[in-house]
Amino acid sequence: MGLLIAVSTLTISTANSTQSRVSIKEFVSSYLQMKNAFAEDNSSGAATAGKKLEAAFKNFDKSSLTTAQKKTYEDVETDAREHAEHIGKNGGNIAHQREHFVLLSKDIYDLVKAFGGGQVLYRDFDPMANNGKGAFWLSETKDIKNPYMGKAMLTSGSVKEEIK
Amino acid sequence: MSALKKIFISAGILIIGIQFFRPAPNRSNKDSDADISKIVSTSDSVQVLLKIACYDCHSNNTNYPWYSNIQPVDWLLANHIRKGKNELNYSEFGSYSPRRQLSKLNGITNSIRDDIMPLSSYKLMHKNSILSTNGKELLIKWLQQAKDSLSVRN
Repeated sequence: MGLLIAVSTLTISTANSTQSRVSIKEFVSSYLQMKNAFAEDNSSGAATAGKKLEAAFKNFDKSSLTTAQKKTYEDVETDAREHAEHIGKNGGNIAHQREHFVLLSKDIYDLVKAFGGGQVLYRDFDPMANNGKGAFWLSETKDIKNPYMGKAMLTSGSVKEEIK
Repeated sequence: MSALKKIFISAGILIIGIQFFRPAPNRSNKDSDADISKIVSTSDSVQVLLKIACYDCHSNNTNYPWYSNIQPVDWLLANHIRKGKNELNYSEFGSYSPRRQLSKLNGITNSIRDDIMPLSSYKLMHKNSILSTNGKELLIKWLQQAKDSLSVRN
C-alpha cells in the first residue's frame, strides 16, 4: 500500500515537471503579433503572423507531452492551424481574416489555460464584434486595443479576465 | 509531312491516349455514419439544398456532369474535389472534433452569407446551385440550430 502511494506520488510529480517544460510561447507571440496587426487594420501584417503561427504548430515538439496534454493539444491544433493558414493566405481580406481570428482566439485561450502563456495575459471582450455576436481576444496589455474594430473603435471592449 | 502536321497528329494521339486514364470517381455507395445529417437534425429541404449546392465538392458523392467523361476535365475535377473535401467534407463531419465542427459551421455560415460559396465558377456550370434568398436563409437558420445543438451537447 505504502509503495503504491509512493509510486502514484512519483507519477504526479513527474507530470508536473513535464508541464512546466512545455512552452507555447511561440504560439502566444505570433498570436499577439497578429492581434496587434489587426488592431492597426494591417491585413498583410496579420497574414505574416498567421504564417508564423502555422509554422510554430508545424515545428512544435509533441514528444514531451503527456497523453492527456497531447489530447488537449491535438484538439486545438487541428482547428487552430487551419485558422492560422486561412489568415496567412488572406492578406488583403481583413474581414475574412477577422472571422477566423474569432475562433483562433478561443483556441489560443484554451492552449494558454492548459499550458500557461509564459506571461501575464488579459482576456478582453467586445459585445459588438463578430457581427454583434460578441468576441474575445487575448492581450499582453491592460489597455484595450480592439483587433476586431481596429482604428474605427480601437478602445471598444473591456478586460474580463487576467490570466497569470 | 510538315512540322505543323506532325504537331497536330501527336497532339491528337495524346488527347486520345489520355482518355484511357481516369481518376477514381468520388462516389461512395454506403451511407456514412459520420454524415452531418446524422449529427445534427437536417430537414429534407435543407438536405436537397446541400446536395445541389455543396455536395459535389464537399462530400463523398459527386454528381458528375456529362463533360467529366472528356479528359483532362475529369482530372481537373478530381483535383478540385480533393481540395474541397480537404477543406470540408459533409460525409465525414462526425469524425471532426467538436471544436472543429463548430469552426466549420461558422465557416459555412460566413461563406454562404458572403456569397463565397458556391464558387462563381461552379455556379456558371451548375445554374441550379445558385442559392435564392430563401434558400440562403434556410441554410443559415439550419446552421445556427446546428451550432446551438452542438454547443449544448459539449
